[in-house]
Amino acid sequence: MGLVQKRQYYGLLFVAPAVIFFAIFFLYPIVIGFGLSLTDFTLLKPPVWVGLQNYQDLLNDRLFLKSLNVTIGFVLGSTVPVWFISLAMAVLFFQRFPGRELMKVLFFTPLLPSVVVVSVIWKLLLHPSGILSSVIGPIVGQMPIKWLFDLQLSPIMSVVVHDWHIAPFYMIIWLSGLTSIPPELRDAARVDGANALQSFLRVELPLLKPTAVFVAAISTIRAFQGFSIQFVLSPSQGGPLEVNTTLGIVIWKYGFQFFRMGDAAAISVVLFAFILIFTLFQLRLGRSDDFSLN
Amino acid sequence: MTAAKTYESDWAFEARLRRRIRNLILFSVALLISLLFFFPVYLMFSSSFKSEGEIFAIPMHWIPHEFQGFRQYEFAFESTRLERWYINSLVIAAVQTIATVFFGALAGYGFAKFRFPARNILFLFILSIMTVPFQILVIPMFVLVHQLGWHNTYQGLIMPGLISAFGVFMMRQFAYSVPDELLDAARIDGASEFSIFRRIVMPMLKPAAASLAIITFLFSWNSFLWPLVIAQDRDLVTLPVGLTYFSQSLDREPLWAVAMAVSTMATIPVILLFVFFQRYFIEGMMVSGIKG
Repeated sequence: MGLVQKRQYYGLLFVAPAVIFFAIFFLYPIVIGFGLSLTDFTLLKPPVWVGLQNYQDLLNDRLFLKSLNVTIGFVLGSTVPVWFISLAMAVLFFQRFPGRELMKVLFFTPLLPSVVVVSVIWKLLLHPSGILSSVIGPIVGQMPIKWLFDLQLSPIMSVVVHDWHIAPFYMIIWLSGLTSIPPELRDAARVDGANALQSFLRVELPLLKPTAVFVAAISTIRAFQGFSIQFVLSPSQGGPLEVNTTLGIVIWKYGFQFFRMGDAAAISVVLFAFILIFTLFQLRLGRSDDFSLN
Repeated sequence: MTAAKTYESDWAFEARLRRRIRNLILFSVALLISLLFFFPVYLMFSSSFKSEGEIFAIPMHWIPHEFQGFRQYEFAFESTRLERWYINSLVIAAVQTIATVFFGALAGYGFAKFRFPARNILFLFILSIMTVPFQILVIPMFVLVHQLGWHNTYQGLIMPGLISAFGVFMMRQFAYSVPDELLDAARIDGASEFSIFRRIVMPMLKPAAASLAIITFLFSWNSFLWPLVIAQDRDLVTLPVGLTYFSQSLDREPLWAVAMAVSTMATIPVILLFVFFQRYFIEGMMVSGIKG
C-alpha cells in the first residue's frame, strides 16, 4: 500500500466521531422507535410484543384521528397563505424605494423571538381583554372576543401566529431567488413590450420554480411538526376541546402524560411516513445537485 | 421650437411625477405591512416596562404612562430561578455550537478530501439523518437517555444535539473549495494530517463556520420540546421552558408584564447576533432551511 493510499484512511479517522455519534444518537433510537411501536411499553414495566396491534388501535383512536384532522388543517391553513404573503413581500422589497432597508428590518423582526416567546406575546395580544379584542370587538359588535377559547377561532389563531412568525423567513428565500434572476431577462421582456405584471408572470415566476419547490416542501414538512405554538398558545396544551391537538402534541401526551410509549412510537412512525412523502417530493423536484456525492 | 421644449419638459416632469407617486405607494404599503409585523415585538418590549394594571389599558398605551424601569425584570429574577435558566440555555447552546462546528468541520473535511472505504455509504447515512425531524425521534431518544441514566441531567439535555448532520453536510460543501495543492504543499513540508486540518482547513472554513455557529446557537437557544420532556428539576430547565411557567398558570392570571420582561431578555441574544452578524445570520438560515 502506497503512502498516498494510506493517507486516505485519515479521512475515516476524521469522520469517525460524527459517524459513531449518529450511530448512537440516531440509528439506535430509530431502530428502538420502530421496535417500541410493536410493543405495549410504558416505561414502568418491561415491553411486551403486541405486533401491529398499536397501529390497528390507532384506526379507532378518537384522539389520534382528531389530531390527524387538526394537523392536516394546520398544514393546509398555514402553508398556502404564507407562500403568497412571503412572495408578495419579496416582490415588494425587490423594488427600489426610499426607506426600503429600514422596513425590511422591521418586517424581519418577528423571526427573532423564539417560537415560545412568539406564542407568549400572542397569548397577551389575544387575551379576552387584550388589544386585538378591544380594537376588533367593537367592529364586529362582540366584546370581549375569546380568540383562544373559541372552537372555530382558536385553530385559525395558531395559523396566524405561525405565519406571522415565519413569513419573513420565506420572504428572504424568495428574495434571494428573485435576485438570482439575470436582470437582462427582465429587461428583454420589457423591451418586447411586456408590462410589469406580464414580465413577472411569464419571466420571473417560471424561473422561481426551484425556490417555489423549496419553500413548498420546507413549509409543509415544518407544518406537519407543529407543536410549540399549539402547546403554548392554547389554553390547555392543545385545547380547547383538542382543536389544537396536532400529531406532535398527541405524541407528547401519549408519551409523557399517559406513558403509553408504544402508542406514541406508533404515531411517530405515522408522522414520519407523512413527512417522508414531502421530503421525497422535494428531493425529486428540487435541485438534485445539492445531494450529489462528488 | 418653444413648443418642442415645453413638450420635453412636460415629459420629464410627468416621468418624475410618476416616479414620485410610485415611490409613495410602495413606501406606504411597505410601511403599513412592516409596522403590522413589527407591532407585536414592540408590544413585548414596551409592556415589559409597564405595571400589571397598565397592560390591559384601553386604549392601549404606546409608551408606558407609569414607567416601571427595570422593576419587572428585577421581580422576574427575584421570584423565579430565571438566572439559572438563562445560564442553562447559554451553556447548552455554547457547548452544542462549539461541538457542532468542530466535529462538523472535521467530518466534512474528511468526506470532501479523502477517499476511504465505505465513504459514500457513510455519507448517505449522514444525508438520511437530515430527512428525519426530531419530533419523530423524541420518544425513542427519551428511552435511550433514560437507559443511559441521563434523565434529568445536563448530559441528557446536551448530548442528542451535540453534532448535527446538517453541520457535516454544510462543512463538506465548503471543504471542497480548499485547494488540494495547498494541502499537498503542507504534506511535503512534513505537517501532520491533523495539523493541516487545524492550521489550513479550519481558517479557510471560517465564513461557513460562522454561519453554522449562528444557526446552531439559535436552534439550541430556541429548542423547546427536548428540554420540556427531559428536564424535570426546576434548576435544569432552559429559558423557553421556564417562560411557559409564566404563561401557563391556570388558576390565576399570569403576570404579563413579568412574562414580557422575560421574553425580552430571551430575545436579546438573538437581536445582538442579528445586529452584529447579519450576513452570517441570514446566510445560515438560508442554507439550512431550518428555523428553530
